[in-house]
Amino acid sequence: MLTPRGMRNKTAKIGLTSVVLAGALAALFYATLSEGTEYYKHVDEVMADPASWYGKRLQLHGFVVADSILRRRDSLDYQFRIESNGSVVSARYTGVVPDTFKDGAEVVVKGRLGPGGFEVERDGIMAKCPSKYEASR
Amino acid sequence: MAALGTFTLLAAFVTCSYAIAASVAGARRGSRRLVESGVGALYLVAGLLTAASAVILHAFVSSDYSIKYVQRYSDAALPLFYKLTSYWGGLDGSLLFWAFLLSVFGSFAVLFNRERQRDLIPYVVATIAAVEMFFLFLMIIHNDPFQTFLVERPADGRGLNPLLQNFYMAIHPPALYIGFVGMTIPFAFGLAALMTGRLDDSWLRAVRRWTMVSWFFLSFGLVLGMLWAYEELGWGGYWGWDPVENAGLLPWFTATAFLHSVIVQERRAMLRVWNVTLVIVTFFLTIFGTFMTRSGVVQSVHAFGEDRALAWMFTVFMVVILVVSFGLVIHRLPLLRSRNELDSLVSREAAFLANNWILLFAAFLVLFATMFPTLSEAVTGDRLTVGPPFFNKWMAPIGLALLFLTGAGPLLAWRKSTPANLRQQFLWPLTFALAVSVAVVALGVRVWSSGLCFALSAFVAGTLWQEFWRGAHVRRATTKTDLLTALVGLVARSPRRYGGYLVHLGIVLMFLGFAGEAFKLSEQVLLKPGQRVSVGRYMVRHDAVRIDQDGQKQIVAGRVTVERDGRNIGEMRPARWFYKGREEEPTTEVAIRRGFAEDLYIVLAGYDAQPQSATYEITVNPLVNWIWAGFGILAIGTAIALMPESAFAFAVVRAPAHAAAATMILLLLLPAAVRAQHEEGPSFAAVTPRTELEKELYREIVCLCGTCGKKLIGECQCGYAAKMRDQVSRLVAEGRTREEIYRYFVVEYGSEEPLAAPLDRGFNRLAWSVPYLGGAGGLVLMIGVARRWSRRSANAAPESTSSTEADVRNGDAALEPTLEARVDDALRDID
Repeated sequence: MLTPRGMRNKTAKIGLTSVVLAGALAALFYATLSEGTEYYKHVDEVMADPASWYGKRLQLHGFVVADSILRRRDSLDYQFRIESNGSVVSARYTGVVPDTFKDGAEVVVKGRLGPGGFEVERDGIMAKCPSKYEASR
Repeated sequence: MAALGTFTLLAAFVTCSYAIAASVAGARRGSRRLVESGVGALYLVAGLLTAASAVILHAFVSSDYSIKYVQRYSDAALPLFYKLTSYWGGLDGSLLFWAFLLSVFGSFAVLFNRERQRDLIPYVVATIAAVEMFFLFLMIIHNDPFQTFLVERPADGRGLNPLLQNFYMAIHPPALYIGFVGMTIPFAFGLAALMTGRLDDSWLRAVRRWTMVSWFFLSFGLVLGMLWAYEELGWGGYWGWDPVENAGLLPWFTATAFLHSVIVQERRAMLRVWNVTLVIVTFFLTIFGTFMTRSGVVQSVHAFGEDRALAWMFTVFMVVILVVSFGLVIHRLPLLRSRNELDSLVSREAAFLANNWILLFAAFLVLFATMFPTLSEAVTGDRLTVGPPFFNKWMAPIGLALLFLTGAGPLLAWRKSTPANLRQQFLWPLTFALAVSVAVVALGVRVWSSGLCFALSAFVAGTLWQEFWRGAHVRRATTKTDLLTALVGLVARSPRRYGGYLVHLGIVLMFLGFAGEAFKLSEQVLLKPGQRVSVGRYMVRHDAVRIDQDGQKQIVAGRVTVERDGRNIGEMRPARWFYKGREEEPTTEVAIRRGFAEDLYIVLAGYDAQPQSATYEITVNPLVNWIWAGFGILAIGTAIALMPESAFAFAVVRAPAHAAAATMILLLLLPAAVRAQHEEGPSFAAVTPRTELEKELYREIVCLCGTCGKKLIGECQCGYAAKMRDQVSRLVAEGRTREEIYRYFVVEYGSEEPLAAPLDRGFNRLAWSVPYLGGAGGLVLMIGVARRWSRRSANAAPESTSSTEADVRNGDAALEPTLEARVDDALRDID
């Protein structure tokens, strides 16, 4: 049997351990979270003040401007523009694009914004397909 | 028919409410008859929902496009098999499927336990019926799968998404649903135990198996999902931390935790609050997962679309679950006090506890990160997302910690491990781990997490080996048989323990597969004919782009020649399929060259028909197949753990010498033989015949590959059937009549075997039945032998125990060397 004093001692020990553990985890959590997060934004939100977004990791939501997709001959280098609510940004990408990536498609591109436009990272184009699983209503 | 369907739903709803009222009233008044009528009502609900399922299946098969759901998810060209699987292809149908499974499971759970758990049953019935009512309510109010068009019905359906038209999609959702729905049963028993206050361990015994079965199906569903992603989606991976995937993983974590902590409660009467909490949380997470994927709260590639009303209904239901169940837990806290305390941190209890905390933490982490975009938007207004790198960063150490515990747990003694037995137990496994660590460093493995994973895998493998080895040796000494028979006997004596070890072995293999991911190589290239690219040890040369047509789709295939280490290893044909009417969404047909060490995985990402150039995504995936193999072992382990001890009656005592050895060898040979017979072609979707005669012939000729069980060639998916279909098409195109084609096949294959219906001659029928008679005879023989063995062993039983006792007595006198080990082993089991 534990004496009341032993009990208190034990509670204190457990309490202290959990506080330390929780603190350490929270700190780690915060550290990794700030590296790993990306802002999810629409083109117009970002283009209202583009300079403030330079260098930040973004997921940019918009629509591919009609006839804006250009591809360098015999390469996988793409250049295109996406817009939402009247704001337009040009983007560059190298790699394989999804099938649903075409004029007018709703896309989310991952990458960073710079003065020269939006640099999309590898595999960073997600073209939304409204009817992926659910046929459109 | 639609009216009948809606009516059955309404009737089931009413019956459910009766079931709740009757069973609760019956329990309170002590009226057996009232309780029985509640149970009967639950069975009736199962009957009604079976009827509802039959109605919707009939509507799909008979192409009744007046029902909206049928119209939206099928069309006339859809093969029969996929018409049936369209049942759970969409939201409304999947809700019906859920309700159907729940009613059937609930009925079986009640049926099996109604005598043993008489006090709990009324509340179990009430809980199951209440959950059932929620899903019926959703369907009746919001998502009626039997809704019909008010205007004129369309002539044809919109067809099923091509991505869903494959074998994995046909079995992946049901497996997952079975896992999800099955978790309701433990919850119902847990809640019943809380309500009645009968919180001894009897309710746990009732749900242990259910949880294990549900857990298995959940794992199966998750692995099938991975396999599907890997083979069909063509992005080179199998797990992307998508919200929908996470939704399946969350209850898996807590269910795994429960399966472990339940052992602690059985052995040491500890962790009672914890166990009942885990059951509740697991159930809650299944509902929460459904909520996440069905309501559009979290954005995902494969969520079902946004639905505010549904989100609200789910939210209310979840709040009710939490309030009611945790209210009950708090109310019953005095009864849930544990009888023992943790004696030492170096004990098996402590290892189990650590495992539980880590699993729970993993669940919390995944939940948090999945909900993070939604949470951050609610709090800060900015939508922040976290991607796979975040998950990987956290899950790698969590997984490794769990892997370590998998190895360490079984080595620790209950209550307290002394330094001496720590040394004795850990010596070999640690040596193993150390040897592999040295090898890892020597080979220069750069990725720390993978290197650690290899070392820990060796540690766990060492533990498992030691457990089986020591156990089998002790048993061999006591029963005086060969080692293999002793091993079978060992497993048979405590199937749950050794089955569990096998599950651990499977998990280790899967971890090795995950660790291989770090060494993945990937290349995206655009190639003109003749150009080549090298990825790792492979050299891939693009030869041409070919465009073909079959009835249902256009097939664009790239032809590439592959060399490994400079040696030509053949041609591969990655392709894209463009289904008619769905040209916007081609499906990716990945070409995979599977291997023990690595897979070569080629996707045709784009093409230009004119210059014949193609874009490929080429990936080398090391150790991927170990994941699937690991799951196979996990399945076997679960099956063993689930077996009642009597199933092994023949082996437990003294089976005929070497019987087990011989059986094992036969069993091992069996898959090899089957594999040798069946050569799977490239995966063909079902084919559409071009003419009426061809269509009929597809249903009159069977596949003769020898392993498909004589499926009709119109339905069989194997390469052999494709060849036979080609023959039919050719003959039909040549203008042959049906009789001529029959004759051709009889001559070609030397008998009437290819014909589905034998030409009507008496002897034929008899000849046909021979294989079936043979099979049945074999089965009877097997049962007979098994029974004889068990009987003999039953006779032998008293004899052998007495001899064991004699051994022990002799041993005491003569200080038999194995005695100590044997006593140790026995103590490990008993304590």
